Amino acid sequence: MGDRVKNTFAPIGFAVTKGDWKTKISLVILGFGQLLRGQIIKGLSFLLIEIGFIVYLVSFGAKYFAKLGTLGTVATQKVGRKTVYGDNSFLILLFGILTLFVIAAFLLVWYLNIKDNMEAEELLKKGKQLPSNKAVFASLFDKHFDKTLLALPVTGIFVFTVLPILFMICVAFTNYDKNHQAPTNLFTWVGFDNFNRLLSFGSSGIGRTFVQVLAWTLVWALFATFIDYFLGLAVAMLINKKGVRCKQLWRTILVLTIAVPQFVSLLYIMKFFANDGLLNGYLLKWGVISSPIQFWVNPTLARITIIVVNIWIGIPYMMLIATGLLMNIPEDLYESARIDGANGWQMFRSITLPYILFITGPFLLTQFTNNLNNFNVIYLLTQGKPQSMSLKENAGSTDLLVTWLYKMTVNDTNYCMAAVIGIMVFIVTAVVSLVVYNSLPSVKDEEGFQ
Amino acid sequence: MKTSYRRKQATSNVLAHILLVIISIIWLFPFVGLVLTSFRSFDPKVEYGGMVDYLIPKTFSLDNYRFLFSGQTNFLRWYLNTIIIAVFVSLFQTIVVLCVSYALSRMRFVGRTFLMRFWLILGMFPGFLTMICLYFLLKQFGLTQAGAVPGLILVAVASSGMGYYVCKGYFDTIPKALDEAARIDGATRARVFFTMTIPMSKPIIIYTALVAFMAPWCDYVFASYVAFGHDESYNVAVAMTRWVWTNDYQAYFTRFCAGGILVAVPVTILFMCLQKYYVEGVTGGAVKG
Amino acid sequence: MKKKILASILAATMVLGLTACGASGADAAANTAADTAADSAEAAAEPADTASDAGADAAAEAVDYGTGEIKVWVADAVVDFTKSQIDTFISNNPQFAGYTVTVEAVGEGDAAGNMITDVQGGADIYAFAQDQIARLVSAGALETVNPEFEADVKANNDAGSIAAATVGGQLYAYPLTSDNGYFLYYDKSVVTDPSSLEKILADCEAAGKNFYMEINSGWYQTAFFFATGCDLSYETDDQGNFTKANVSYASDAGVVALRKMIELNGSKAFQNGSAAGEATNVAAIVDGTWDSSTVKDLFGDNYACAKLPTFEGSDGKTYQLSGFGGFKLLGVKPQDDEMKLEVCDAIANYLAGGDVQLARYNEVGWGPSNLSAQGSAEVKADEALSALGQQLAFTVPQGQYPGDYWGLATSLGDSVRNGEISASSSDSDLMSVLQEFQDTCVGYAQ
Repeated sequence: MGDRVKNTFAPIGFAVTKGDWKTKISLVILGFGQLLRGQIIKGLSFLLIEIGFIVYLVSFGAKYFAKLGTLGTVATQKVGRKTVYGDNSFLILLFGILTLFVIAAFLLVWYLNIKDNMEAEELLKKGKQLPSNKAVFASLFDKHFDKTLLALPVTGIFVFTVLPILFMICVAFTNYDKNHQAPTNLFTWVGFDNFNRLLSFGSSGIGRTFVQVLAWTLVWALFATFIDYFLGLAVAMLINKKGVRCKQLWRTILVLTIAVPQFVSLLYIMKFFANDGLLNGYLLKWGVISSPIQFWVNPTLARITIIVVNIWIGIPYMMLIATGLLMNIPEDLYESARIDGANGWQMFRSITLPYILFITGPFLLTQFTNNLNNFNVIYLLTQGKPQSMSLKENAGSTDLLVTWLYKMTVNDTNYCMAAVIGIMVFIVTAVVSLVVYNSLPSVKDEEGFQ
Repeated sequence: MKTSYRRKQATSNVLAHILLVIISIIWLFPFVGLVLTSFRSFDPKVEYGGMVDYLIPKTFSLDNYRFLFSGQTNFLRWYLNTIIIAVFVSLFQTIVVLCVSYALSRMRFVGRTFLMRFWLILGMFPGFLTMICLYFLLKQFGLTQAGAVPGLILVAVASSGMGYYVCKGYFDTIPKALDEAARIDGATRARVFFTMTIPMSKPIIIYTALVAFMAPWCDYVFASYVAFGHDESYNVAVAMTRWVWTNDYQAYFTRFCAGGILVAVPVTILFMCLQKYYVEGVTGGAVKG
Repeated sequence: MKKKILASILAATMVLGLTACGASGADAAANTAADTAADSAEAAAEPADTASDAGADAAAEAVDYGTGEIKVWVADAVVDFTKSQIDTFISNNPQFAGYTVTVEAVGEGDAAGNMITDVQGGADIYAFAQDQIARLVSAGALETVNPEFEADVKANNDAGSIAAATVGGQLYAYPLTSDNGYFLYYDKSVVTDPSSLEKILADCEAAGKNFYMEINSGWYQTAFFFATGCDLSYETDDQGNFTKANVSYASDAGVVALRKMIELNGSKAFQNGSAAGEATNVAAIVDGTWDSSTVKDLFGDNYACAKLPTFEGSDGKTYQLSGFGGFKLLGVKPQDDEMKLEVCDAIANYLAGGDVQLARYNEVGWGPSNLSAQGSAEVKADEALSALGQQLAFTVPQGQYPGDYWGLATSLGDSVRNGEISASSSDSDLMSVLQEFQDTCVGYAQ
């Protein structure tokens, strides 16, 4: 460990003490040494990065970065009838974080530059030749092809995923809500206030609501995952059964639910089950019931209906997967079991199920985490309703954490609370994944697959 | 003995078929309902167009479809937007996923495991969390409202690298020995990637492209954020969910159904044609995790 | 060497991308912040400048309004109407010809939400329902009405609409319609006596038809609570902050109202809803004028409307259903360009003027708030509007409500609908629910 630290800082020490003048100037002007040593491509890239960094910082980054501590102090004001906007806390936070990263990235580049200088100097000392410009460029398509391939995706993920997520994590520690909305109003840091509110069970806290929504989220994910899993398996076995004809037809019919966009099919189903919808309409007309069944109104019934409708959505996926896997089970296993006098159920229990369970372990885990965040099914069917006086912040009985988060963001513009909920979703997902993942048998040896 | 076994087989087959027919009816019902409703006119002279409590329209008419194509709404524009988004997302996303998967599957570099872990962790944050931030980021680039279509493509493509699992799993199954042989013959990594790996990966390319193509058709949340009230930038999902959810659009349900059919038909046909690859991808993904 | 190229490409893309975009809005916003002082000095100097400019070319007496783009958000039904009205206006006022006006279909509900999400990206002129006004003012999405027009606007529109457009002591919006209230539409062949809720329900039940009322909406719900004499109102300051709440739901009167809601919910003819186009098998629906044409299609020759019915409370007394009388308003958002603000004000003032209100009524049937338009023969002859007029005597002009109230009211309504509180609940149970409701309502005002 100590050696590693030492090795990491060695180039800096080298450049400051033992390096030649080219290397020393490179401490300040990046790429200087490389340029003088004839490594034009490398030298220019380093130099351009430094220029770009300085331009960015001076013209853009610095003024946001400087205000990161307060998130702005200049209030919006009126001059005559004209509005003069003050500090925009939102942009200060966003670009402040970005600037932080740009600085960190620049320090890394600076370090790499020093290290490269040192390596070049050592190579020359040993009387060896530095790689030519052409070789450096060509290595991008061979030895360093991974850099070429990953540069854009990594940048994209940084700007459009990492940065926004960090931003929202920070928002959880501010009072960014409907009363503190940029650009007209400022928001500022409030520490753990929002977390306290979420986890406090007094009359002003929303702890009880949170626990109830969380519980339903877990229950839902459990039911949605396992019911679909076993029913899907059953349907796959039914279709695979010897003697069943037009196998492809049955599969195609089921697969329709994957192909048709959910906003079309689920909104239709939502209307279908409504109190004044088709199903209740016909049941009333036929005299089966005397008053409408409250599919979406009664909390328990609404939850059940959602799980049932989700079967309609979920079975086909599992059916497709199971179909492929079932064919992989060697037929002679069943043959020998049959000779031993095993019946269908016994064969299923001791041959089919263990095999499928073993091989689809990771799939079950992904399904579970997906269902924890299954926005479409819930939101298109009930929008989280019915609400209740016993639930706060407009949470409803069928709300998952994500739909609640969504409603907070869009309807109530309560961004700080939504951010806290988002962090909670992350924690739940991460804990579940970690616990389950580590107990899966088939994931430990990645190289083993190859 | 033999006949009784056969009779048992026959009855169980009949039962299986009956069960399958029942399942099919349940599965098809919503689609049949959609189609039937889409043929009910909204013109009060023909038939009342709001919600009704019967399934089969009294008169079949094409009024809803006529309405959608008549230019009274921007339906064709919305449709075109969705197709543009879907095609470009599908194209670029596939390229990004292939690049990332190849790098992660074939090359060993410093930070590789870190990158994979880090992305896995990132994936555990709910996507809706960052909507507001993404909106303002896109706004900085001028890619909201009138620029919503390229904006949506950018966001979808930018973060698609994280969805490498299935594709990497597939690459892992292609023997490394093939690569090594080519490299001994002097081929560069890039050459191996373009001339060997990609041609061998047709199923996974089609799977990736298909999944990417289908996603934008159902994006009504983020797309509505980015279009931000600019009618011409809506996609079909944003525009049409308004017909059901907003009270400004009374008695639009039949038109919603007709629009839904128009959206569903091409996507479904495409899906059915490429179903084989989809199954392959999904199964591979499920096994590899 | 290894990481270098990746890192350099990465950093270069980032830096280039962001410095490039820095030139746009973000930068401008930050600059304005920094230069506030300088700006205000400039602003002070500006009128003098324009004055001297005007003096210089006195021949062209018109002020130069410059050029720009103005975005207008209205409901889909009036997009074409609004477009043509604005075209007429601009062609009559060539001094505004430098502005391109685009009209987008964004419904009143979405408009307010969008404006609050991103004021700067939102429309310059937009229509919204009055319940959003305080929220919009506090989010800085509404500019006060131009003092030039203020007196006229106040004089020409009915008192309720002016109160609705006023927050604190400031007039913040131009009244657009005065029909945002609800009353009863019914099917003559089913409902024999529309004056009593019990009779309507009995008729509906007998005919196997539905009675619609959206009891889980904070807007329709007040019909019960205000009927029994409960109070729910807020006071606001000029910035749209709620300063005081007057709530008396947790009272015997409140319990009577809640009991009636529970009883209504128990009827097998009852359906929760207020959108005629989404309703099935309807015999009666509590809805507003905006749905009149849909309801006409629905009932055909049996179309009829009336004020809301009376009901018999659990205490044996008879109460007249009350509710909100509401208004649609047209707002202008704050601008950092004074000239553009002037143009926006002029357009909004025109769109909310008497003639255009009347024209709008003729086009889509929205009841005007303008007094002279209200007095016109065609408006007076309107069946739905006259039912609304009769109901008006029993309604409470809708004031300002915090955004959270509507969600809370939905929770109360849903608690009734899902049976959490039911006919078998004791008075004290109901009282404790109402007490919680009331406390939360009071809590919204600081």
